[in-house]
Amino acid sequence: MVFKRLLCAGSRLLHVSAKRLFCSSPEAMRRIQIKKVLCVAEKNDAAKGIAEILSNGRARRKEGLSRFNKIYEYEYQMFGQNVTVLMTSVSGHLLALEFKAPFNKWHSCNPVVLFDAEVEKYCPENYVDIKRTLERESRHCDALVIWTDCDREGENIGFEITEVCKAVKPNLQVFRARFSEITPNSIRNAWQNLSEPDLNTSDAVDIRQELDLRIGAAFTRFQTLRLQKIFPNVLSDQLISYGSCQFPTLGFVVERFKAIQAFIPETFYKIKVTHETDDGVVDFNWKRYRLFSHTACLVLYQICMESPIAKVIEVSSKPKSKWRPLPLDTIELEKLASRKLKINAKETMKIAEKLYTQGFISYPRTETNIFPKGLNLSSLVEQQTQDDRWGAFAQGILDRGGPTPRNGTKSDQAHPPIHPTKYTNNLQGNEQRVYEFIVRHFLACCSQDAQGMETTVDIDIAKEQFSAHGLMIIARNYLDVYPYDKWTAKVIPVYEQGSQFQPSTIEMVDGETSPPQLLTEADLIALMEKHGIGTDATHADHIETIKSRMYVGLTADQRFLPGELGMGLVEGYDSMGYEMSKPDLRAELEADLKLICEGRKDKFTVLRQQIQKYKQVFIEAARKAKKLDEALSSYFGEAREFTESEQIQM
Amino acid sequence: MNSSATASRVGIWLQATWHISVPTQWLDACILWIHQENSGVNLTQAQINKMVFEQWLLTDLRDLDHSVLPHNLGKAEKTEINGLYCIQIDSLVDVSQPAYSQLQKLTGKDCTNENVSAATQPSQKPWEMKPSRLLMLQLTDGVQHLQGMEYQHISCLHTELHPGTKILLQGKIMCRLGVLLLKPDNLKVLGGEVDALRKEFFQAKLLCKLLGKPVDDIENAHAQN
Ligand SMILES: [Mg+2]
Repeated sequence: MVFKRLLCAGSRLLHVSAKRLFCSSPEAMRRIQIKKVLCVAEKNDAAKGIAEILSNGRARRKEGLSRFNKIYEYEYQMFGQNVTVLMTSVSGHLLALEFKAPFNKWHSCNPVVLFDAEVEKYCPENYVDIKRTLERESRHCDALVIWTDCDREGENIGFEITEVCKAVKPNLQVFRARFSEITPNSIRNAWQNLSEPDLNTSDAVDIRQELDLRIGAAFTRFQTLRLQKIFPNVLSDQLISYGSCQFPTLGFVVERFKAIQAFIPETFYKIKVTHETDDGVVDFNWKRYRLFSHTACLVLYQICMESPIAKVIEVSSKPKSKWRPLPLDTIELEKLASRKLKINAKETMKIAEKLYTQGFISYPRTETNIFPKGLNLSSLVEQQTQDDRWGAFAQGILDRGGPTPRNGTKSDQAHPPIHPTKYTNNLQGNEQRVYEFIVRHFLACCSQDAQGMETTVDIDIAKEQFSAHGLMIIARNYLDVYPYDKWTAKVIPVYEQGSQFQPSTIEMVDGETSPPQLLTEADLIALMEKHGIGTDATHADHIETIKSRMYVGLTADQRFLPGELGMGLVEGYDSMGYEMSKPDLRAELEADLKLICEGRKDKFTVLRQQIQKYKQVFIEAARKAKKLDEALSSYFGEAREFTESEQIQM
Repeated sequence: MNSSATASRVGIWLQATWHISVPTQWLDACILWIHQENSGVNLTQAQINKMVFEQWLLTDLRDLDHSVLPHNLGKAEKTEINGLYCIQIDSLVDVSQPAYSQLQKLTGKDCTNENVSAATQPSQKPWEMKPSRLLMLQLTDGVQHLQGMEYQHISCLHTELHPGTKILLQGKIMCRLGVLLLKPDNLKVLGGEVDALRKEFFQAKLLCKLLGKPVDDIENAHAQN
């Protein structure tokens, strides 16, 4: 049997009543006898890791009804009493949201109806076994402890679990364990300090899901049904999805592509001076850099050539640092892994999740780049001293007085920056590379900036100024453990102020300006972050979606290139005057979700306002649908006219 | 008042006060026109002087057909002038920056997203070239055409100066390959503009031409402003 809960738009009372059923304080709970506790984690790996820690490796493994989600049973203490703990797991979200029949069928209605049609939460077929395990086990338990990931989605999954369990055992007492890493300290601490689930955060996820469903389904059905008919030869089998995150993401790719197309290269000219010395050739750069006028450059060049003697005007040196990296947050991890390890964001997060559930690193979804005061960095550094590759460096940090982390300014008040929590040398392939990166980044952050001395030599040839730069590296410091950053020393000989010399060459050279480059994945993430599209948890997914829909492709050097469909869609919507490929609309939505989490805005208000906004845009877009046909016809050939009966169906 | 005497007094005043020299024919026509425009009004010499000067500022010097710069100046490989010359700037453009980026900025099409890159962790920037402006001026005395280069920064020059602006050149100025090398002491802006040149040499159109880009859209937008 499939579990279904019916909901109407804008009226979801279930979570409100759920809240009332939670015990108001752990104090009150202690008076009630608890003998058996059901614990539920977000993934089987996490359940296993947590059970191992709390049972000291003595948990008994039992089968659940789902073959991927085991049950780990052990004895433990809760509120000073001996209890039996059953630790099991879900596999991410347990419930999904869908339109109530008949609206779940594509041809059931005009898509505009989907902004108001009834929706329901239900348990998808492949999760029914998990749900049945939860029902079976909760019947003989007195308390439920939610061990899902401590982020927005995790909070929401916790409420799904609660809902399922309470349906069979209404007087179940529910607690939330809060932790950022699956390490003994953190897990035991979470157990000692059980709290209440956070309804606001879960609400924000509900609203986001409902908006994504309505907006996505309405636009997706509208454009798919229309365009399949108009370009039957090219698109007849194509799902042309729309999402309020994926479209702005696609918009960035198209925008950059168009900027490149529109670019006009220009020739520039410059004067280049070299000086061959016993220590090598020194390049002097023109202070004017470059000129976009041949005549202007030629005039100045001739002046130089008439008295080609260089006079040293000034020699100056100043200390220069190369800063060690900031503590690692999710976005930086994704960007750096993409750039330095050539592992894409989606893959990186998959690996990071795995490393986390195995207890090797802290929770990888975090916006924080400041280490919390309470975190014992020394012991984390200490763990790494046994490694052949970076152990000596880690020891060096301890010998020189301990970790001195550079700190950023961001904190999500939930998770620390990503850091290693346990040493291992048993990993392979990309898992090993991501782990190594996280360790090296952590050690680099805890050490010292690289120190150097930059020397500048300014010369004058016939009143034109040139300068040469040298860099002496005094202390490599963090660079020794962080091969992902490069800092190259450049030796230049000693020049004396006031002295003169004859340059070896004075040349007039030309060059051409070049367009910006296509976006890399790291650039795209940076743009999404800047414009508030998605969250650190979802950037990678949105990028994956536009790839899988063939809206964009990747060039040989892993840069994003829009496809014809992607180009046509963006151009079509842009020509309607609605900036649907622009980030503003979605950014407002994300900001509203944040306000729900913080308890500063009512979820129904947000839902109502956002549905209204997107519905308005939808009605307009449907009215101007011909513009979409026109834009796409420049890629897919002439648009087929609609027959009258088809017109009515739309 | 004797009209030819008036004209000669204006001519002397223009030369003495502004170092402007104009042909008698133009001067006569200009004064005649001023009298027609102000018929019945008794204009003082000072008023006429001022009106003639204002007219000169708004005149395209080509219409005067009266050369003031040394003969064949533009053709010399390398020479120097040292005198007082009132001439006209037809247009000017900054050649230290690509015309493309200047045009983007001017038409509001510059996109800040282009500057977003993956490297957002703040770090100490490596040494970087920061070029300063270098304006190239298209100059004419009405007969000879040549260029002026902002050899050293000249604060009274800027790209918003109207085409046809009149300037006074003074002091020693090097001239190479038809380019005057201008320093701040060499140049004084007198003002004025030329309507016809405004349509031809407004900044956006100028940049378009440099880029070999069609100018229609730009012209339409400009006409509406
Ligand atoms: Mg999760």
